[in-house]
Amino acid sequence: MLGPTVRDHAIVFDELEGPEALPVGWSDAQGPGRYRLSEGQDGRVFEGYVVGPDSLKQALFPARDVLYQAERRPDGKVGFAPVPADPPDRAFLGVRACDLAAAEIQDRTFEHGPHAEPRYRARREGAFLVAVNCTEPGDLCFCASTKTGPRVTEGADLVLTEREDGFLVEAGTEAGREVLDAMPTEATDDSDAEWLDEAMAAAETKMGREMNTEGLPELLFGRLDHPRWDEVADRCLACGNCTNVCPTCFCSTTEEDTALGPDGAHVRLWDSCFTQGHAEIHGGGFRPEIRQRYRQWLTHKVGAWVSQFGTSGCVGCGRCIAWCPVGIDLTEEIAALREGEGEAPMPSPPAYAEAEDDDLTPRPAEVVAVSRESDDTVTLHVKVDHVERYRPGQFCQLSLPGIGEAPISISGLTRLGQGAAVEHTVRAVGGVTRALCALQPGDELGLRGPYGQPWPLDEVAGGPVLVVAGGIGLAPLRGALRAMLDRPDRYPEVHLFYGARSPDDALFVREMLGWLEEPSFHLHATVDHATPSWRGHVGVVTRLLAQDLVPEGARALICGPEVMMRFTIEALEGLGVEDDRIWVTMERHMKCATGFCGRCQYGPWFVCKDGPVFRFDRIRMLFGKEGY
Amino acid sequence: MGETRPRLGVFKLASCDGCQLQVLSLEDELLALTDAVELAFFAEATSRADDGGAFDVTLVEGSISAPWQAEHIREIRERSKFLITIGACATAGGIQALRNWRDVDEFVRTVYASPEYIDTLETSTPVSAHVPVDFELRGCPIDKGQLLELVTALLVGRKPAIRDESVCMQCKRDGNVCVMVARGEPCLGPVTHAGCGALCPSYDRGCYGCFGPRERAHTSSLAGWFQKEGMARGELVRRFRGFTGWAPAFREESESHE
Repeated sequence: MLGPTVRDHAIVFDELEGPEALPVGWSDAQGPGRYRLSEGQDGRVFEGYVVGPDSLKQALFPARDVLYQAERRPDGKVGFAPVPADPPDRAFLGVRACDLAAAEIQDRTFEHGPHAEPRYRARREGAFLVAVNCTEPGDLCFCASTKTGPRVTEGADLVLTEREDGFLVEAGTEAGREVLDAMPTEATDDSDAEWLDEAMAAAETKMGREMNTEGLPELLFGRLDHPRWDEVADRCLACGNCTNVCPTCFCSTTEEDTALGPDGAHVRLWDSCFTQGHAEIHGGGFRPEIRQRYRQWLTHKVGAWVSQFGTSGCVGCGRCIAWCPVGIDLTEEIAALREGEGEAPMPSPPAYAEAEDDDLTPRPAEVVAVSRESDDTVTLHVKVDHVERYRPGQFCQLSLPGIGEAPISISGLTRLGQGAAVEHTVRAVGGVTRALCALQPGDELGLRGPYGQPWPLDEVAGGPVLVVAGGIGLAPLRGALRAMLDRPDRYPEVHLFYGARSPDDALFVREMLGWLEEPSFHLHATVDHATPSWRGHVGVVTRLLAQDLVPEGARALICGPEVMMRFTIEALEGLGVEDDRIWVTMERHMKCATGFCGRCQYGPWFVCKDGPVFRFDRIRMLFGKEGY
Repeated sequence: MGETRPRLGVFKLASCDGCQLQVLSLEDELLALTDAVELAFFAEATSRADDGGAFDVTLVEGSISAPWQAEHIREIRERSKFLITIGACATAGGIQALRNWRDVDEFVRTVYASPEYIDTLETSTPVSAHVPVDFELRGCPIDKGQLLELVTALLVGRKPAIRDESVCMQCKRDGNVCVMVARGEPCLGPVTHAGCGALCPSYDRGCYGCFGPRERAHTSSLAGWFQKEGMARGELVRRFRGFTGWAPAFREESESHE
């Protein structure tokens, strides 16, 4: 049994050895950046204090979780063994309404997307929850504003309300009813029910803070340049305390825990959008400034969360105010941001098919062939079952034991006798990709996926299609090109606009020459730096997009560096291609690929599950905006 | 492995040897380490003389505080493929960098009976102020787990899991109650590079910043909070002027309160 107990000058949530471990008579005083505990004289068990730094999160989504054990054998074979949670059944005593609401919000992240996290689910299912109604909210509480308390309305097995003469107990579930039936109780009557209603109504008026939540997503995303962001950045330490104590924050990172070799554990750790690594990809980070990190956190917590999960991420518990070392108070920040102008329309939550279990463990897959594409780029042909599941535009997580995982787009599919292979074109830029590029036929790698949304090949059928690719951006589009060139009846006119650094860096040249045999295919290529033998265009790819090459009614698929995509979109719009006829593929830091780790968030979207292919009108609100 | 084992060199400059001791205190992994790499030079651990050859990986402890060290580090750099500086002295100048705010000649005259034998520089500076460094491993002393991770990452070919984040991240993952919020104990954790395992807060003390500033160390906001809570200016200077006081973020903060 876990419950509130005094440790290190705070009331934490810990194993309870017995009733004497409960903080009977203790009370807390909380303010911004301040939490003080005192031992009082009265015998109250729960009502002298409200929430401390801990919540159910520590137990259901622990700060450190081993996801799998990996090994790489000398013969190039790999092994991955998932590590399940295997939790004991646990009872949690003294859970507040805000924390029950928070657990329900975390369920949406870990159980109700396209993927479900089995470790979280097992811990959640094994939890027996004894909740407490708060009749004495604290100075930092505002659950009445967020409508997540102070009264427990659902999610608990038993609900206690502390009174001078004992506890009122309600059973919320069948399991709770069984426990209640086994306890010595006295029957209640209408006066008890009236007392409870009055006590809870009174509690609503005792909140130390309030926050107007009306229209927050639209308001915040409409005010991304509000001067308040600079003002709060003058105080914010970007230390991550707020996100760690927040009972709904779910961001995580992973690392390889091995000693002097490749074999060992793949570990998940709590991370925070306030760390540098959170939004970092090879070549740089998306949120270098503290201002951008605080804005990301707040616009997500009470803004984008609504578009992602159909609920705000704030339950009004006040932890982020108390445990901020410099006392930043989000209710004050929100109030200040309300002073201003601007509102942006926000999307509704996407509908996902029923969640499939994903324990995040790769499966061994054989590299059957390796094609060298350029000095630093190879295509791995990886043998798979059910090749029909892999669609152009989606990606897989490729991994090697002890080195790590990298999201790599699907660059094509090949038939192999009885089976099939999925192709991944990899450029060696970091540890994982260098190791992937060094693989030989017969070696194995770890494979997870496919993940994400594919190119909309049905939607673009029937009319002319423009494919615009920069550099290695051609890789995610190759599968789409092959599919379209195979069906000239559906795709009568396909134009490829391709820009590479130099002729030597151009990908798939031999295959491209073959495509030129197809009457439906039209190639427009350019390079940044010509070689003496190059006879084609020199310059950026957007300069190829001239009026006479963009047919009436064309739809466009674009992949390349973000700046290249921006100029391409501007050029296309200038030529009359509306933004709902343009699709782009976005790159953000994707660690888990399943929507659990939070790192690839892009405002209201997750690049891993809502993208990486997006119709441009949907992401236009944020495209090119610094800090996202 | 045999012939192909990478050659490791361990050198020291102005320092207390504590970081080298962390290598030796890798007890359980030490034999595996010597299997994986060739200990080509490590004066504190072996009697093997320097053969003058090149190193695949070199660990350097200590700051540059004497003219010979400034020469020596150039030679080490030339012989090293991957140069790692270890500890607060090598990465920030160390506690001996306190001299950088004082008159060194006066110290020499006061402390030593025969000052003419002393050949020292005016300042103690990190190795990176003299030669390019490939990786800086922080701490006073370094954390042996981080050292093992760094060596493993180099051997296996992965990015080392050494995160540039606040000490607070570690405290929260470990379930430590914040000493600053719950007791008013001043703590440099929010602006300090993690890696120590949140050692001081785990023992109910505030962090004193021995791993040096993290990226985006927002020292002015933290110092402002200390001041609001009643910390005097002299104490503020001392807080930021410890084992890594010469690291730019801490140095600028302490100087702004003088």
